Amino acid sequence: MGDVESVGILEKQHSRRTFIKGVIATGATVSSASYLFRGTSLLGAATVQTSTERMLTLNVNGQQRRVDVLPNETLAMTLRYKLNLTGTKLGCDRAECGACTVLIDGVNHYGCSILTHQVRGRAITTIEGLENPDTGELSVVQQAVLEQGGFQCAFCAPGFIMSMTAMVSQNPSVTREEARHALSGNLCRCADYDKILTCAMRAAELARSV
Amino acid sequence: MATIKDMIPAFDLLQPTSVADALSLLSEHGSDAWVLAGGLDTFDWLKDRVKRPRVVVDLGAITELQGIRDAQGGIEIGAMTTLTEIVNHQRIRSEFSVLSTAADHVATPQIRNQGTLGGNVSQDTRCWYYRSGWPCYRAGGNVCYASAPNAMNREHCIVGRSRCVAVNPSDTAPALIAVDAKMVVENRRRPSTYDAEDFFIGPSIDITRMTVMEPGDLLTRVYVPPIWANASFYFEKVRDRGSWDFQLVSVAAAFRMSGSTIEQARIAVNGVAPYPVRLEAVERLVAGTSGDEATQNAAGDLAVRGARALRHNDYKIPMMRNLVRRAVRSVSA
Amino acid sequence: MADKLVGTDYSAPDLRAKITGRARYAEDFRAPGMVFTKLLLSPMPHCRVRNADVSRALALPGVIDVMRASEVPQPEGPSEAVLTDEPKYEGEPILAVTAVDEETAAAAIELIELDLEPLPFVLDPLQSLRPGGPNAYLDGNQFSGQDGWSEFKWTAEDFADIDAGRFPANVTAPVEWSKGDVDAALADADLIIDEAIVHQSATHHPMEPRSTMAYWENGRLHAFVSTQSAQRTKMGMAGALDMDPEQLSFVAEFCGGGFGSKIPGHAHMTLAPLISRKIGRPVMHRVTRYEENYIGRARPGFQSWVRMGFRADGKCTAIDLIIAQDSGPYGAGDFNTAANIADLTYTPGNMRFRGVPMYTNTPPKAAQRGPGGAQINGMLEPLIDKAARELNLDRVAIRLLNAPGPDVGFGPRNGTLTSVFAKEALQKAADMFDWETRRTRSGQRNGSKVTGLGIGLSTYTAGSRGFDGLMVIRPDGKLYVYQGIGNLGTHSISDTARPAAELLGLNWDQVEIVWGDSSRGMPNSSVQAGSQTTHAHTRANYAAAEDALRKIRAIAARTLGGNANAYRVDNGRVMGPGGSMTYAQVAERAIALGGEFDGHVLPEGINAATVPSATMHAGTGLMGVARDNYGGEGSIYSWLAAFTEISLDVETGEVEVIDLVACTDCGTVIHPRSLGAQCFGGSVQGMGLAMSQRWVFDPQYGVPFANRLYTARPPTIKDIPTNYTWDAVHIPDPTSPIGAKGIGEPSVGAGSAMMTTAIADAMGGRCLCRTPLTPDMILAELEGRPLPFGRLDQHVG
Repeated sequence: MGDVESVGILEKQHSRRTFIKGVIATGATVSSASYLFRGTSLLGAATVQTSTERMLTLNVNGQQRRVDVLPNETLAMTLRYKLNLTGTKLGCDRAECGACTVLIDGVNHYGCSILTHQVRGRAITTIEGLENPDTGELSVVQQAVLEQGGFQCAFCAPGFIMSMTAMVSQNPSVTREEARHALSGNLCRCADYDKILTCAMRAAELARSV
Repeated sequence: MATIKDMIPAFDLLQPTSVADALSLLSEHGSDAWVLAGGLDTFDWLKDRVKRPRVVVDLGAITELQGIRDAQGGIEIGAMTTLTEIVNHQRIRSEFSVLSTAADHVATPQIRNQGTLGGNVSQDTRCWYYRSGWPCYRAGGNVCYASAPNAMNREHCIVGRSRCVAVNPSDTAPALIAVDAKMVVENRRRPSTYDAEDFFIGPSIDITRMTVMEPGDLLTRVYVPPIWANASFYFEKVRDRGSWDFQLVSVAAAFRMSGSTIEQARIAVNGVAPYPVRLEAVERLVAGTSGDEATQNAAGDLAVRGARALRHNDYKIPMMRNLVRRAVRSVSA
Repeated sequence: MADKLVGTDYSAPDLRAKITGRARYAEDFRAPGMVFTKLLLSPMPHCRVRNADVSRALALPGVIDVMRASEVPQPEGPSEAVLTDEPKYEGEPILAVTAVDEETAAAAIELIELDLEPLPFVLDPLQSLRPGGPNAYLDGNQFSGQDGWSEFKWTAEDFADIDAGRFPANVTAPVEWSKGDVDAALADADLIIDEAIVHQSATHHPMEPRSTMAYWENGRLHAFVSTQSAQRTKMGMAGALDMDPEQLSFVAEFCGGGFGSKIPGHAHMTLAPLISRKIGRPVMHRVTRYEENYIGRARPGFQSWVRMGFRADGKCTAIDLIIAQDSGPYGAGDFNTAANIADLTYTPGNMRFRGVPMYTNTPPKAAQRGPGGAQINGMLEPLIDKAARELNLDRVAIRLLNAPGPDVGFGPRNGTLTSVFAKEALQKAADMFDWETRRTRSGQRNGSKVTGLGIGLSTYTAGSRGFDGLMVIRPDGKLYVYQGIGNLGTHSISDTARPAAELLGLNWDQVEIVWGDSSRGMPNSSVQAGSQTTHAHTRANYAAAEDALRKIRAIAARTLGGNANAYRVDNGRVMGPGGSMTYAQVAERAIALGGEFDGHVLPEGINAATVPSATMHAGTGLMGVARDNYGGEGSIYSWLAAFTEISLDVETGEVEVIDLVACTDCGTVIHPRSLGAQCFGGSVQGMGLAMSQRWVFDPQYGVPFANRLYTARPPTIKDIPTNYTWDAVHIPDPTSPIGAKGIGEPSVGAGSAMMTTAIADAMGGRCLCRTPLTPDMILAELEGRPLPFGRLDQHVG
């Protein structure tokens, strides 16, 4: 490593030599005290007694579902662990992948990044809610994906399909570039993106013909 | 105490339906309270269990904070208006497109559908030392990890450091500065209005905050005055990937033209300092010129004068210089 | 006439479940009384747990158990344990807390007091190689089963060369091989390209984290696992738990990606079963993305030096290659494969390889799609272009000259190939790309944008032999194909049955694929890795189908009269001199006849592990069961040639990828649409390696910071090429019936190489010789600003 230009006020307090001692070839260690700090500075983990009403009635896939929900519970967790709707996936739980995408009043959101208590009174749609509940007929988007053979491991598929559903309802005349933008909040690690876009365009085409 | 970065710790959830109620709750709970807007900044902190408020005040039910309306010739945007609404708003797109364009560059569609303008401008910095919960100056401690000689600071600042070297990550912030927006902050005492560029503060003012707001304050609306309507606008955000990522450097500019001459300009850059930087000297330089190549180069050089890189972010100097050049170039014939 | 199944697109049998939310991955399963396990991760890069006070955690209402390292197997030497009291990297699991819900488990972890003794750590292999440099283990930095621990260092003179930017010609290495005479060939060469090249690590980050659910019932384990393989993972899990595999009900119907990180399952899949056995309740171990970043594996990084000698006509005549590999705490094999692939791709004739695997205190490494190959292709292809520039040769022509022909011998033992059509794939891709016309666009400037053209030729293993196929035609007239391979979404669970079904004259709607649940029977299968299943199980299923066909004809002859060989099959019927029978009738007849017809008597040569599964289905219909004895000499490799046009912005360093044109040699194409997706997907993963993915460590504290999904920067839909065209050479591999080879892996190296070469091309031939080529790296190079870190540093960015 070359010479490091001294930068910032800190160098007046901590000499370069001191820092290098921490990482130099001798592999000197850093004291354990400096690691223990790296937790939260707050005390204890006692749960707070909450006064928030816990029983909620949620509108999920057109049904009224009554469920006991903690205030700190996210919609994705409620769907997966309280309502047994496991089609919505947890890919990262941090709004960084889109596998948990659901529709709230027809608009795509990350289910992991909204509290269930924030969506009382709103219409929630999950992947399970797209097909016709009586006939089992697939939605237009699902039909397009089936026809075009979309996805590989398909862990991202429910999230993508929800985003496609929002996209075709908002703009069925979408171009491929616009579709790319509309779906840019969904990650696919298999990188099936090209085929996914073909499915999205076919979905738009089917939506226009309905 | 061992740590884990998962599962939001319990809190009391309060969901007021009016600004008055919200302010009352914030005043009552003081530093025990956390303001929840769209949540995209909030849930990171809570899920990492680094911040553990006793009380979360959810603004989602306050309709008076939502919506976009014409006001005094300009546009008033409620702080809880989603970024998607701003992207799609007819008048903003036609008269103040730098703001709709900037909003459209934030993160991803799902985040824009839920993230709010108020949240986007109040969001905390993304310095990864700070975000990981390390007790640096910004967290109330006594050190800056990111400016250590061997620290990983590729995304940190090149100007405006004062012990802290983090950057402001907002996309709408420089656009709001470019249109001379006004930020209305309310609390139990009285509302205050700040010019956008004064709403964001640097570490020399208060190293623990990114904006003027203190506990008990609420940003209620943003007012875009009519004076920059229909200006020539420029926005660019350089980032690693085409989605999700925060800027490495971004620029937002408004030019009032008289024929091919720049009458007046407002130029702001973000991702280079702990606050979005308005380039007033550059604005004065370009005024009265046609923005020709010589002016572009001079503007770029002036913009980065005095910039001082950390070990890993030297590239931000030419990047910032080039973005300023391109902003000026966008209005040259 | 029954449908043609080979070479046609179709709807995979699992797609409907995937798009309706019915497909269940490991974390989707529930059991009554299920409880939840969460991990406590090490905050230090290397330490010893002197004490963990868990009393307050255990006292928290709702907490059921704390499992410690002493309760799980602790292997000898540098091998991973599920829990450890001597963490080797920041983020390694120390203990597991189980509680009635995750909130309680998380709160309980915070009540645990850890007393940790910090130990020396090292992040960068070169640091550990320096004389006096730190070691990742207290006992040293090299380990062998025979000799135990030792310390391996380079000399001060070696580092004088390295630090001065010279090729460290005198280094020794734990692994070394050579062929021909590299020194003589280099001395004779008309041109020598001499470079130091760095390839960074990148986490696998499959979309699905590796969660597990498990419970025991009457001594039988029910496990729901996220794994690439199936039958082999089941055997591995049974072995790790020291139990009879037939007492394991193993469910792995869907796997949300692995890319090599979940091949025979993964280390932590035994945690839920162990805890469940201890506490007597079903256990869900949901792995978070944060944990996936640590225990989820990553591709090993390389710090390497290479000298390539060329003749004036562009033939590479010598490669002198040194690779120092970041092996993490538990080792990895990439560096060896990298050398073999370099030899295979450029056929120098004279080669020396020195490989130095080094342990570091960073998260564990494992094979990642095209392990070793993807790195070396991305690293060396720009050097081929450099040679082309220096020698004034066409960039496609130089690759055609160096690509192997059918008589190639590669690697230290001069291995052979079953088939190779690399030149054909490259030429076809060049034609599809219109290389002749477009190559003039290299370096063309349009405002602030410069055009760059990239070429990547990549190869990887694509097959194996000797596994079993198992299928039964039942009285409902359908063919049930039992697959023991996993379902990662490559479609091989159904693709590999298509040739067999075609042989048996069946329409696809008469075929049922049975996979994902070991209690339904799984024959001895390959792992889902090395792109081998398309080759291996096309053969295995074909062998079983030939066995079934022989029996069908025999039954027809016995029942209807005439010579068995005179009978043929089509549309689910067998027809011949005596008349015809439906397959439903054949199945009933097989049950009546028993013996080998219905699986009561099994053939001698099948693998022992297949027997219980075959036995399970005896008496249910006409059974086809056989081992792949088709044989064949040589290794099975596939190829991908990828071309790209990019637009590089010289003012920001950003790159727009306009085109991807790819052509593959993968033998016979069974499922075209799926093949196209594999080529695209792998290429984009390669782009991620070249353009955005890396690790970043704070060297002071030994802590990683690109440990979130967004900071890891896997490619998004906005980063992909706008236009995509692909094809194959469509030449069957002659050593297999059907002639299909796999394809999953060559695309990664090709995608990476096309980017590293395109960017170098746009920059007038300057090769940065580092990954990833992020905008700051490119801009700094264009602006002539010095690198902010050491030329060979890892974990920066």
